[in-house]
Amino acid sequence: MNKTLCTCSVALALSAALIGMPACSKKSVQSGGDSQSTQGTAKGDSSKSGVGSFPDTSIQSGGGGLRGLDKNPSEERLGSGTMLAKADPSGSVERQMDEVRAEEAASAVAGLRDVYFGYDSWTISEEGRQALTRDAEWMKSNPSTLVKVEGNCDERGTSAYNLVLGEKRAKAARNYLVELGVGANRLSVVSYGKERPLCNEHSESCYQQNRRGHLAVKTGK
Amino acid sequence: MTRVKLIGAWFGGVLLLAGVVGILESGAADVFLEATRPDFQKITLGVMGIHNAGGPDWLGGRIEEVLKKDVKRSLVFDLVDLPSLGVQTPDIGNGMGIGSKAVFKQAAEKGVSVLVWGKAGTKGKDKDADVNMEGFVYDSGSDELVGGKRYVGSTSVVRLMAHRFADELVFRYTGEPGIARTKIAYVAEQGAARELFVMDYDGHDTRQLTADGFLNLMPQWSPDRRFLIFTAYRNRNTQDIDMIELATGKRWTVISLGGLNITPALSPDGNFLAFASSHEGNSELYRLDTRTKAIQRLTVNPSGDLSPSWSPNGRELVFVSDRGGGPQLFLMGSDGSNVRRLTFEGDYNAAPVWSPRGNWIAYVCRTHREYKLCVISPDGQKRMQLTTGPGVDDSPSWSPDGRHLVFSSTSDGKSQIYMIDADGKDIERLTFQGTHNSAPSWSPAS
Repeated sequence: MNKTLCTCSVALALSAALIGMPACSKKSVQSGGDSQSTQGTAKGDSSKSGVGSFPDTSIQSGGGGLRGLDKNPSEERLGSGTMLAKADPSGSVERQMDEVRAEEAASAVAGLRDVYFGYDSWTISEEGRQALTRDAEWMKSNPSTLVKVEGNCDERGTSAYNLVLGEKRAKAARNYLVELGVGANRLSVVSYGKERPLCNEHSESCYQQNRRGHLAVKTGK
Repeated sequence: MTRVKLIGAWFGGVLLLAGVVGILESGAADVFLEATRPDFQKITLGVMGIHNAGGPDWLGGRIEEVLKKDVKRSLVFDLVDLPSLGVQTPDIGNGMGIGSKAVFKQAAEKGVSVLVWGKAGTKGKDKDADVNMEGFVYDSGSDELVGGKRYVGSTSVVRLMAHRFADELVFRYTGEPGIARTKIAYVAEQGAARELFVMDYDGHDTRQLTADGFLNLMPQWSPDRRFLIFTAYRNRNTQDIDMIELATGKRWTVISLGGLNITPALSPDGNFLAFASSHEGNSELYRLDTRTKAIQRLTVNPSGDLSPSWSPNGRELVFVSDRGGGPQLFLMGSDGSNVRRLTFEGDYNAAPVWSPRGNWIAYVCRTHREYKLCVISPDGQKRMQLTTGPGVDDSPSWSPDGRHLVFSSTSDGKSQIYMIDADGKDIERLTFQGTHNSAPSWSPAS
């Protein structure tokens, strides 16, 4: 294919554009967990929302600058290899921690109960139903509150599939709350898979604690 | 999709199969997987020494140590210990002096095909002085000084000098770039957060790339090595797919469709992004054309579909689906056509990655609640378990030469990152610090 030349100039143009327009990066639209879906197969329209700008990432050159062994080698000056910008500690870490603490505090005050699941499962057990019934009562008595259900998994299994399993757990809990009469628009769902464990031991009791749907009161935004 | 596309995808599948069958029928031993050509013989190589030529007294030894490890890891060379073979290793300068002939003769007699040596030093006592390194190579098969390299740089690039020289050796003898200068992106725990890091392929020089204070997961490289694409949590409550430019740290969101947006994978030519999203109900696979921004839905199924990985020719995807109950591996054309199941053993098979050589797919296989690494051929005919023992093994990723995998394992208590030969013979631990290192992704070669 004859696109190398084209690709290089596009890459240059794009790099120039990206450097000049950092504002571009923040523009993607995001929709809530249950909002109307985009028509996946349509070209054009659907791609405008939810998709950010994309640099040209196609391969630029082969051989990586290796020049081969030379009987009379000239001197190659080596820079520090791949440039890596340092992470920018923008105060985000503290802010996240503060927000998490605020949520935990509000959830503790509310006395929201978590739901626990069996291995590989997203079925709500009898205890789960009881916990969710109490949670639903609290939510109905506090009609202005918003709650998110966070799905979690124990450390076993792959990170990726556990994100899907965590979402199934969160949705199962959410669906049951809706069945109990809580407005669906007050509930959101997120999955943390096995990435935010409560405990780290490789024991059945720790695993059970981690296989949970955690309900948290949304504070702030 | 049109009939033409369907037929095209089918042809692609047949050609791939024919290619794989061709490799398997050429007499390869069944027991060991050949990560390269089935008849590949390692080339015996001896490193005579990197001598100090002025400057700090750790210099020559450091380069020599890194070079020897790189040579060994390449799996192209059989690194021999010259003294124990009885081969003298004096300083022979540039190899053109009279004394060199005797050394070369001795090496040839002992069956050493390649001799490597060199020197390194700084000019003057200034602590910021440049390091100069010279490397030389003798080939006993052709009885020839085949050439060498000369590098100059600061003391901070001393390891890179060794890595580059090792890559040149591999390039010389295989025509492919070596992997000694490749990087591994991964996720490291920082308190309650998980952030993106990058390290050298041998575990050195770890660098932190994000500091969001929450979760940044499953990084993958762009084919040009300039970007990482990964799943990020905005405000802790939504999962998007973000990109980060390594050289500048610039970061932006590329997919934000609601629900899960996970397991992004750029095609080998960079023109498509395959990813999973649950914005239409349950986790489905989509393909974004990075040039037109058009999104095509690839799977339509009430089950969860995720974890796409591209074949090296970009025509097929392997992915995970639990449409049969638990997660299993499936194959399909890169346009979603011709879906067929690949794994039939075990009730949990996930996290597939297609080797850059096209001949194997590595993945996580479960037996009796143990999560280990397995490989399967794309035609499903050959399957082997690579790891055993305690701990959860996860997130395999291939080296660009298809000879190694990097993966995470909790076998030592905490999740750490390890490298393993594609035939499961040697395991090397790469991370030693921290409380949780995971999701390693091996960069393309440069």
